[in-house]
Amino acid sequence: MLILTRKLGEVIRMGDSVTVRVLEVKGNQVRLGIEAPAEVRIYREEVYRAIRRENEGAQLEDPERLDRAAIAWQNRIEKA
Amino acid sequence: MAEPDREGLAAARTIALRSRRFGDYDVPEERIVVFPDGLVGFPEARRFALLEPSRAESPFHYLVCVDYPELGFVVCDPERLWPSYSSEVPRPADVTGEVAVLVLVRIPADPGESTANLMAPLVIDCATRRGRQLVLDTGRWATRHPLFRLAAPDAS
Repeated sequence: MLILTRKLGEVIRMGDSVTVRVLEVKGNQVRLGIEAPAEVRIYREEVYRAIRRENEGAQLEDPERLDRAAIAWQNRIEKA
Repeated sequence: MAEPDREGLAAARTIALRSRRFGDYDVPEERIVVFPDGLVGFPEARRFALLEPSRAESPFHYLVCVDYPELGFVVCDPERLWPSYSSEVPRPADVTGEVAVLVLVRIPADPGESTANLMAPLVIDCATRRGRQLVLDTGRWATRHPLFRLAAPDAS
């Protein structure tokens, strides 16, 4: 892992088009300003992990489950 | 939607989808949706076919990956469950025309516990059939929104 030390307001550049600026340091919190092209996906790590986990869970391994969910849906419509 | 229409497509190019899990389809090329970045956690899964469910009344569709035919997801049109949701999903800056919004659905062993991921919708540019998975990191939408319980008007 590359480790760099930066002062408030200083910038790290990644490649030609991504910069990360230290905007504020308060206690154990750091605010970062990130500039990157729109196609670069930027997530907080815990959010990325949550979405990846949900995507993995949304994989359909047993197509029969889709039918069972469709029946549950139909029952809900009939009750409503 | 992706069930090949037998009439009038003699000249259309189709992409063969052969899947042990989901079956065999010849999907017209114009029904393929491309996610240039894949889905979160699946960066290599780029070309998908949106297939109709076997039950006509079902709100669910298969989103099967053409590149990895055993990889498939369940999606639904959120409009039928949360009518205001789609309009709150931000349009990507480079998309000016119509978009389609789909959400991924997790169906556990008890289908009554199914949930939809409203935090990370799939937004598809209808003109180019290019899609991307957005992440709405605002705290407003959950990754596991109950499909059946909250949607019922008498839910309590």
